[in-house]
Amino acid sequence: MTAFAEPDRAAPSATDGEIAAINLESARRGAWARFAQDPLLPGVAEAIVDTERLVLQNLGDPAAIDRLDALASQFAREDESLRAPLVQAEVASTAHRFADARGHLARAAQMGAPRAAIERQALAIDQACGVKPDAVLAARRVFVRASGRLEDLVPLGALLADLERFTEADAVYRQAFSAYDDVSPFPLAWTCFQLGMLWGELVPMPDPDVAAFWYRRAVAYLPSYVKARVHLAEIYASQGRTADAEALLLPALSSGDPEVRWRLADVLIAQGRSDEAEKQLDAARSGFDQLLERHLLAFADHAAEFYAGSGNDCRRALELARTNVANRPTRRAIKQAHAIAELAGEAVSESDPREAPSVAISA
Amino acid sequence: MSDHVDGPRSIGDPAADITDLFAFVSPANPARTVLAMDVFPSAGEDAMFSNIIDYAIAVRRVSVAGVGNAAKFQPEDDEIRFSCRFETLKRDTAGKAIQCGVCQLPDGRELLLTVNEEKGTSTSEGDVRVFAGLRSDPFYLAWDIGILKKLPNLLQHTNVLSIVVEFDTRRVLDLAKGSLFGAVAETVPPQKRGLLGPAISRIDWVGRPEQTNMRLNNPAMSEINDLRDLWNQQTPFAVSKVLQPLFLQRLKDSHATWDMLDGKPDWTPEAIAATANVFLDDFLLFDVAKPIDDRSHLEIEKSTLSGHPYQTGGGRTVDANSIDILLTWLVNKDREFLLGGSTGATKPGMKVFPYFATPNTELQTVAESVELAAAPDDVWSLIGQFGGAWHPLTARIEMTGAGIGQLRTILTIDGRRIVERLEAIDDAKRFFRYTNIAGMAVSHYTGTLEVRPKGSGCVVDWRAQFLAANNTDRAMKVMLSTLFKTGLDSLKPRFGVAR
Repeated sequence: MTAFAEPDRAAPSATDGEIAAINLESARRGAWARFAQDPLLPGVAEAIVDTERLVLQNLGDPAAIDRLDALASQFAREDESLRAPLVQAEVASTAHRFADARGHLARAAQMGAPRAAIERQALAIDQACGVKPDAVLAARRVFVRASGRLEDLVPLGALLADLERFTEADAVYRQAFSAYDDVSPFPLAWTCFQLGMLWGELVPMPDPDVAAFWYRRAVAYLPSYVKARVHLAEIYASQGRTADAEALLLPALSSGDPEVRWRLADVLIAQGRSDEAEKQLDAARSGFDQLLERHLLAFADHAAEFYAGSGNDCRRALELARTNVANRPTRRAIKQAHAIAELAGEAVSESDPREAPSVAISA
Repeated sequence: MSDHVDGPRSIGDPAADITDLFAFVSPANPARTVLAMDVFPSAGEDAMFSNIIDYAIAVRRVSVAGVGNAAKFQPEDDEIRFSCRFETLKRDTAGKAIQCGVCQLPDGRELLLTVNEEKGTSTSEGDVRVFAGLRSDPFYLAWDIGILKKLPNLLQHTNVLSIVVEFDTRRVLDLAKGSLFGAVAETVPPQKRGLLGPAISRIDWVGRPEQTNMRLNNPAMSEINDLRDLWNQQTPFAVSKVLQPLFLQRLKDSHATWDMLDGKPDWTPEAIAATANVFLDDFLLFDVAKPIDDRSHLEIEKSTLSGHPYQTGGGRTVDANSIDILLTWLVNKDREFLLGGSTGATKPGMKVFPYFATPNTELQTVAESVELAAAPDDVWSLIGQFGGAWHPLTARIEMTGAGIGQLRTILTIDGRRIVERLEAIDDAKRFFRYTNIAGMAVSHYTGTLEVRPKGSGCVVDWRAQFLAANNTDRAMKVMLSTLFKTGLDSLKPRFGVAR
């Protein structure tokens, strides 16, 4: 994939994104090969979790969750130490199976896992589920005071954004960006992406130009950053720059993320290429269906958005949004569900008012 | 393990993580010295160097400034430095990634490199030759060192990225001033000031093996603060005087713990303190005027601490058993050699340039699964028999022996004989693991078959890892994948497909 812009001179330097992506894949395969030789090798299962999560987050490969599930299953079979439930908790958490993750953590605690390891994971789950926000915020601030590192600053920024404290979130993200003193581009691209989300989707008055600036920078750090490409393409498409949007999405098709095909279909529709768009929409629908079949909770929110929009199935969208809220009742999830419920109400009432579903969402 | 994965920062970008440093006299030509650094633990076959890191090996002349409990090795200020930088990737006509780089030599000359070029690059005078690329990891660790339990090599089949510099000893090192040197390797990021402060000086550096992972971060000492990133920020040959007491105390505490690992005290507190002082000056000592072989590693330090003139050139060869040499010294002060569970790395070093063995082939993986509308136990009762002939491509199965270790000889409908050995089975968890003994063009083949509950039905997972032999990886993967799919598909009509 080709970068659309170079990071500017004030931005931290990092290893070229193409090299980093190749090396991530190299490290991922290396870790799996070592796991195949001996699943109990110290640190190897944990290294697989780290690399697969990076692949999922940055390269948009949804099969990473399948591989992680296989890892958790195989590792739990082979390892009788407290490492197994800790790995299982990480994997369940990655797939948004938060109740399962808490169960694994409880087992790890019973087996004598270090408190710090349990608390870190539990905190991430609480944050993802939007529970105990004050306690989570206090804990996040403690981590940041202790380390000052990007890895602690970005989750704090994300929490502040969830709590709609947008100005603080922006400041924390920028601090993370400036504080970075390593050379991997993944954390920098992640921070840029978070800033793009903040300004493009979360603030009450989104600023697409600022969001696009950060998404462009994320793609410059990591050309294969699928989510950043998708979000930037959305902005370009909304500004009528459909050719630029298409150019961003085409190289990301191979990732396997159905959202790429969905957004590409929208771009093709805007260009009047309806036959091609229809093919992409079918592929997106099929992709979401397959993912939901295997990992319902991991993809419920994105799929809900798809079905509420170009996927054209409001009932399914509402069902998925409700599933998402039941799993992680964050403010954002509840907002999404309300919006879809209203849309579904309108959509159904147009055809048959008696079938209009309730807008009320129970968290 | 050696210097692999030695701190949160070096883990962030594996291409910046130094695993080992070597210094030895060329076995092919005693007039030439070889310095080498490895990075990227468990590198896959496509691994590349970072394009913004300066990969450097620095050497300083050293003198013996004290012996016995006052042992001290004093480095000079002048530095002989080999510094390699690499570019972003280019593509050849077939689309394959190519990485080029440049090695700056101590006298300022520059040598252009192409990564993975087996012969490396030489100066026009032939006095310096450099290789950069993927090699078999020469380091081996075959212990659970926390409890001194022997294990197979934990780094078997792994690769690293190596930078190998071979040079004319007399021309580069000027032996008239002395033949004892100290070497370090470091990975240096761009020295650009950040918005919140100065750039970090380096990602990682290494002198002797295991300074960070064993001596500063002793796994037997629970609840200690991780000093490895702090150590990695120190300037080689000039560790901060303010921080020296902190590191020194850690080295002493750690050494005392290693000494008692076998329950027997072999070291006096004075000897531990003297050794810690020597280790605090962390550079790999080598004397090019004396013999350097696979057993001479650390001999210079040991003899000097004992009050004797050293006899060998110390250094570290590709095949040196550095972990066992160090462990033996720390644990029992060379009373009894502690030989781990392996006597060598995956591949031994080579006697000719670039000295480090060719990379190991990556283990290939094939995984197939099917979701069935049947209880897991029902499916397992059919396929969980190691000798069960349920696969449609199987004509007959002959069994030899019983329990773990039993062999099954599969006679396929196209006349092949495949012999497999049962390695583990758990009927409660519904899985077994087996290895291939004969009949397939593979080595290191391990297969697993497992039935897991899912919803009201189950999932059958069939996986295998292997190295292809006499066949391409792709061909073997296709063959095995077809074999697995055929077997799993045959279960669908019998048990129904999960909806």
